[in-house]
Amino acid sequence: MSIPDENAVFERLLRPHLDRLYRLAWRLTGSKAEAEDLFQELLIKAFGKLDQLLRIEEPGSWLCRVMYNLFIDERRRFTRRRMTVVDESHLPEDGFAGVAGDSDPVHDNERLQQLKRLDRALAQLSEEHRIVVLLHDTEGYKIAEIQELTGVPEGTIKSRLHRARARLKEMLIADGTFS
Amino acid sequence: MDRFDNELQDLLRDYPMPDARAGFYDEALLRAAQEGARRTRNRWLVTGFGSAIAAGIAIWFLSGVFMTAPTLTAPDADIPGVTIALEKTNTVNLVFASASRLDSATLTVVLPEGIELAGFPGQREISWETSLNEGKNLLPLKLIALTPAGGELYARLVHNNRDREFRLRVDVS
Repeated sequence: MSIPDENAVFERLLRPHLDRLYRLAWRLTGSKAEAEDLFQELLIKAFGKLDQLLRIEEPGSWLCRVMYNLFIDERRRFTRRRMTVVDESHLPEDGFAGVAGDSDPVHDNERLQQLKRLDRALAQLSEEHRIVVLLHDTEGYKIAEIQELTGVPEGTIKSRLHRARARLKEMLIADGTFS
Repeated sequence: MDRFDNELQDLLRDYPMPDARAGFYDEALLRAAQEGARRTRNRWLVTGFGSAIAAGIAIWFLSGVFMTAPTLTAPDADIPGVTIALEKTNTVNLVFASASRLDSATLTVVLPEGIELAGFPGQREISWETSLNEGKNLLPLKLIALTPAGGELYARLVHNNRDREFRLRVDVS
């Protein structure tokens, strides 16, 4: 395959999955910069495995698994959560930009504040609890899909999900979000 | 399932995330093709650290690479760390790897209490403008520990309104 052909095939193969992959990167990392890094690294890796990708029946699922493994490898290698500091808020303000704007400004503002408190509560969870609750309850992954993605047993996923929800509920009751 | 469970489910369903910035997917695809092809060509050169990233910037703290470098601390440390000798000049090599050339980047090093950069007595924060070449860029920092306390060194690299901050634990023996 010539280089221009290769690039075109790569783009045609990848583009339908980019939104899903970007969302996954965001949910795994919780920050824009790290999500972009992870997303970029996945694409580079995928380009090197183009021949293999062309033979895969469900490239989207395969790409998600590769992204998850890259994420875990990076975490192990550099313990990035501790290295990349702390100043970057968990969810930048632009993440909330689409929340306001409905017909009821009071409700909008209340919802916005609730979501910001949820954001803070999520940041208090362990990484494995945060990821499983976001994938399942926010992104709509099924337990089996999370199992396939992470390789974590179903029972462990369910347990993490249960604990994550319980902890979130506890924090949101404590800070007055739920009353 | 109680009322709070339902409210939590609703809230989680609404939990937002920002869209990718305009043009990001196109840039990422292009960079993947360029970088992927380069890596394939240079596979024999890959060192094991490799991670080209969206910002074009990666940074690793390495020591022990050069004869002058201090010893690495315990491998189970939570963040990368080095051990340096008290009241001696110790060279700690920082390696910045960049996927492309970066002009006018600003590098800031913040030192822990009791550790100085040789030539900058009494200064705990030193910034300078620099350019990074594509590939690895070595920055040797000559550190002097004035007390045995140690602490964390921060390095922040800023380029085009994007910044990364990294931490290095410095122990003193």
